[in-house]
Amino acid sequence: MKHVIGILITAVSLFYVNALYSAEYALHGIVDIRASRVDSANQSYLDGGQGKFALADGQHLAVAQAGAQLAVEWDNGLSAHGVINGFYSADDNALGFTEAYLKYRGLPNSAGYRVQSRLGIFYPEISLENNAYAWASKDTLNSSMINSWIGEEIRVLGSEFKVTRLGRMNNDAFDLSLSASAFVNNDPAGALLAWHGWTSSSRQTLWTEKQPLPWFPARGAGGALEGQAAQSDPFLEIDHKVGYHLRAEWLLPGKGEVSFGYYNNRATPYKVVNGQYGWQTQFYHLAAKWRLMKGLTLTAQYLNGNTLMQSELKQDIVNNDYASGFVSLSYQWQAKRWQKKHSTTLRLEDFSVTDNDNTLGDNNNEDGHAVTLNHSYRLAKQWFFSAEVNYIDSHRPARDYTHQSIDLVEKKLQLAVRYFY
Amino acid sequence: MDIFLNSKTFILALSLLFTALAQASTCNKVAAEKKQLMCLQVSVHSHTDKALSGMVVYLEPLDGQVLTKNTNTLTIAQHNKSFEPYLSVSQINQQVNFENQDDITHHIYSAGSDNKFSFKIRAGKTSANLLFEKPGEIAMGCNIHDWMSGYLLLLNTPYFAKTNAQGFADFAVSEQGSYRVVVWHPQMQAANNRMVLTKQLTSNDKVSFTLDKAMQAIPKQESDDDFDFLSDY
Repeated sequence: MKHVIGILITAVSLFYVNALYSAEYALHGIVDIRASRVDSANQSYLDGGQGKFALADGQHLAVAQAGAQLAVEWDNGLSAHGVINGFYSADDNALGFTEAYLKYRGLPNSAGYRVQSRLGIFYPEISLENNAYAWASKDTLNSSMINSWIGEEIRVLGSEFKVTRLGRMNNDAFDLSLSASAFVNNDPAGALLAWHGWTSSSRQTLWTEKQPLPWFPARGAGGALEGQAAQSDPFLEIDHKVGYHLRAEWLLPGKGEVSFGYYNNRATPYKVVNGQYGWQTQFYHLAAKWRLMKGLTLTAQYLNGNTLMQSELKQDIVNNDYASGFVSLSYQWQAKRWQKKHSTTLRLEDFSVTDNDNTLGDNNNEDGHAVTLNHSYRLAKQWFFSAEVNYIDSHRPARDYTHQSIDLVEKKLQLAVRYFY
Repeated sequence: MDIFLNSKTFILALSLLFTALAQASTCNKVAAEKKQLMCLQVSVHSHTDKALSGMVVYLEPLDGQVLTKNTNTLTIAQHNKSFEPYLSVSQINQQVNFENQDDITHHIYSAGSDNKFSFKIRAGKTSANLLFEKPGEIAMGCNIHDWMSGYLLLLNTPYFAKTNAQGFADFAVSEQGSYRVVVWHPQMQAANNRMVLTKQLTSNDKVSFTLDKAMQAIPKQESDDDFDFLSDY
């Protein structure tokens, strides 16, 4: 809360500064309304169940996202950004901030180097999919499992410093970027991934929002996780230790980009405050995007890491390795004029969690794969109509704790109207 | 077969001759129309002898000839998130306007030059009355759209042109004397991206340039992602 007040004070003072310098305001966003038919568990992960979609088994009409981003930009390269997102369905009702930060983007110097920096609450640069307004996914309705997780548990309060070397000014065809962030308030990240596994949705956790955990025996009386709160609060600072994120990107204009990054929240795994544990979570991520031919783009991401949470006596309670990767192909139809309004995306995913600890009543193992097929049609400049099929086949022993099948195939068919403004 | 080949060669030669004559006559016409003394026709060809269009050609007086000042206004447009034209040329102290024809803001800057500038230009607006005092070439970029790339060449002469589709640039010249004839293009693989020769001008004349090496690819001013609702710059 202290941080939020700080940001508000900064925002207000910036509005006064605004009186002195000319500023430009930009308001953009998305409204995404969906009708879905879901074949899954009776309780979605978002509702404290084991279902891998944000919606439970059945038919739904939902506001999958109502997002708005406001930017105030000054001529000196400084800008202030606030992103609000709302989600509404039968089991879910939330509205609040997802990001709020100040950004500075300098001009390239005579050697072709540009400095950019962000300060505040923001997503570390990881997702290649969620680059539309308000962190919406551009080519599919449900984000990949990697980016669904980023949206759920990875958010930082910190500062990011990025240097870009522009190839154009150095007689090179490519641009290079290096960035480093130092952050706090992401210590419980990893808890939700351990306890409900990988998921697929377009839901983002709001800043200060808590998400429920599924039931498993270790949470019961006398269990190793008796002291764990019923809801995880992923954006907390528990031990006052600063985490970091590093990223390098190679970009070939007109062709594509390749990036590599490493995240480590440096949380103390045996510290617990109000039932929220520190989870020492670290992972590396690889990403590539390549334009194979006109209209055809290949996007791929891979993430691999480890998370550790211990008792106050420093015994491992949860020690997991996790990995997920996807490859997607997007085609913008353009052989004929009318086809330009159509795009098709096919995404294949693989995911796993490996449980390395011996805690009774808390099996976190998981293994599975997923397929997504999306077709979108641009009705008018700002209106898109999308149809998407999601298929997830997973093996997850923890489902047995609530008497569900360990091996489960989940399916979702969704029709969406998306409006960008 | 021989006759056919010969007649074909003959027709080709004839047509080349006619083109050359037609070009020469346009050059003379240009001089006559502008009531100038003489015409210099410059032609530029690639290393494989193909006509090169869009090459900047300029003449610099070497004998202290006093030349008129170019008083035209140069407009550099930002259109479809690209600089149009890619290459702009102006005489120093000539008025330069930047015209944003897009519905978004651009942040134009000069990359490493004696004529340093940077400004934001809002949708549909024109930044007018820019004057550049120093000769030189300015590589321009947009700090919001990194793929945008354009050049402004500032010269201390009113004699500049770009070659046409046939590779010709015509100059109606008023003062006799010695001139430095320069061909410039940022993608020309030569020292300072230029070819230079000196020409004594007393009457209608012609010079031709043939590049030693292939031109480098002109950068495509195109976004990697043309989705209209991207969040970041």
